[in-house]
Amino acid sequence: MDDASMVGLMGRVTGTIGPGLVGEVMVRVRGGAEHFLAYAADGTARIECGTVVMVVEHLPPRSVYVTRAYDS
Amino acid sequence: MPMVVGVVAGVAVVAVLALIGLFKMMWRVAEPNEALVISGSNHRTEGLEAGMGFRIVTGRGTLVMPGVQVVRKLSLDLNETELQVDCVTHQGIPLRVRGVVIFKVGDDFVSIANAARRFLDQQKLMSERVHNVFAGHLRSIVGGLTVEDMIRDREKLTGQTRAACGTEMEKLGLIVDSLQIHEIEDPTGYIKNMAMPHAAAVQRDARIAQAEANRLATEAEQASFARMAEATRDSEILQAGYQAERDKAGAKARQAGPLADAAARQEVVVQETRVAELEAHRREQQLQADVRKPADAQAYEKRTLAEAERDARISAAEAKAKETELAAAAEATRVKQAAGAEAEATRTRGEASAAATRATGEAEAASAQARGLAAAEAAKAQGLAEAEAIKARAAALAENQEAVVAQQLAENWPEIVKAGASAFGNVDNMVLLNGADGMADVFAKALTMGGTGLGLARQLLASMNQNGQAPGGTSPLNGSAGPASQKVPVEER
Repeated sequence: MDDASMVGLMGRVTGTIGPGLVGEVMVRVRGGAEHFLAYAADGTARIECGTVVMVVEHLPPRSVYVTRAYDS
Repeated sequence: MPMVVGVVAGVAVVAVLALIGLFKMMWRVAEPNEALVISGSNHRTEGLEAGMGFRIVTGRGTLVMPGVQVVRKLSLDLNETELQVDCVTHQGIPLRVRGVVIFKVGDDFVSIANAARRFLDQQKLMSERVHNVFAGHLRSIVGGLTVEDMIRDREKLTGQTRAACGTEMEKLGLIVDSLQIHEIEDPTGYIKNMAMPHAAAVQRDARIAQAEANRLATEAEQASFARMAEATRDSEILQAGYQAERDKAGAKARQAGPLADAAARQEVVVQETRVAELEAHRREQQLQADVRKPADAQAYEKRTLAEAERDARISAAEAKAKETELAAAAEATRVKQAAGAEAEATRTRGEASAAATRATGEAEAASAQARGLAAAEAAKAQGLAEAEAIKARAAALAENQEAVVAQQLAENWPEIVKAGASAFGNVDNMVLLNGADGMADVFAKALTMGGTGLGLARQLLASMNQNGQAPGGTSPLNGSAGPASQKVPVEER
């Protein structure tokens, strides 16, 4: 049960992330898939639903900062 | 001894059972949907940093010292809260929103710790708390949306909800799995009115489609009826045809007996006829043999005989004709020769006679010429004399016509009287009423008639003299006749 393991996990956007919006990502963690409130790591990117992202920061309890996993 | 063994064994069993019971009391297992919150001992702060004084166990067993530590269970199950919120939209339209929020305690230790501190004794009241939180947030969320957004843009609603409630629930250690808006009650009829144009259009389209479908159905139905009628008609026609065939066959079958009878009878009649014919033929043959052949033979005989006879006669006639022809030719030759001789004789006689006649004629002509010449001479002399006399008489007439006339009357008196008497000559029976006197009267009248003729002659002479025409001379030949020459002037005048 090490929460630090969240960083570096891959997730999928289920609620659009953007400035002024609170997004949502599903991340496989603790043997299941949980959703976390998500924010863009650089603060200005807009990430649509379905995009694969990587968690770069985890703020307990349920907030993560993400960035695009693949440059597109 | 055995007793001791039994006691020992019994004690051991009891001890084992006691140990098992003790372990059972001390060992607690966390089920998958719950978290154990253990407090009371500070020596093991597994999963959490120091400071809180309790530990959280999920999904496995742990040893708990009874009386020293307290174990509490926090359910990680799903909870739901019914929402029923009166709110006003961005457009100022009052709505009553009914929905449900599905939430649970977060699975990480931070969330479990937050939730344990807030709800461990109030797990039953968790729904109420969440309801209060969501009711306020939902009002603000709906206040920022329009009715159209709420109905059509669920993503926006979800996003707003997450933005407003996510961090709020994070504080409570809860996560919102789902927010469902079940029903939006609309006391002002806004939604209904908003839907009305579309509903009307849909209704219109539906009615059009219905009408079209009805039309098509009716058409198909009518076509089907027509087809059915057609099929019925065809079937009836066919049935009638088959019935007619059946009737025909039946009639034929019914007539088959009489027909066969008739055919049989016909056959009989035919055979009888044949027999009769054969008999007639035989009879004819017999007649031929009996009658005709003899007759033919007889006729042939007769004909042959007649022909022979005829040929004989013809030959005889031909011979006779030949004979006659030859005789006639001989006769003709003879006659011709006789005629030639006769003609020769006649010609010779004619020539002689002609010569004689010519001689005679010539002599007579010469004599006649001589006589004529003499007569002419005499006539000429007489004519001249008469002409002389006439001339003299004419002279005398010119001097005294009366005298001449009188003389002539006197000379011709007997003829005149004769002429007057001739008037009586044709009278068959004359009756004289006056006797002798009467007779004298009649003669006097007759004579008077002669006198009248004298007067007439006078008048004619006068007229002649007045015209200055000399009295025509008479031809010497006419003058040759004495009485005729005397009458000529009277008649011409």
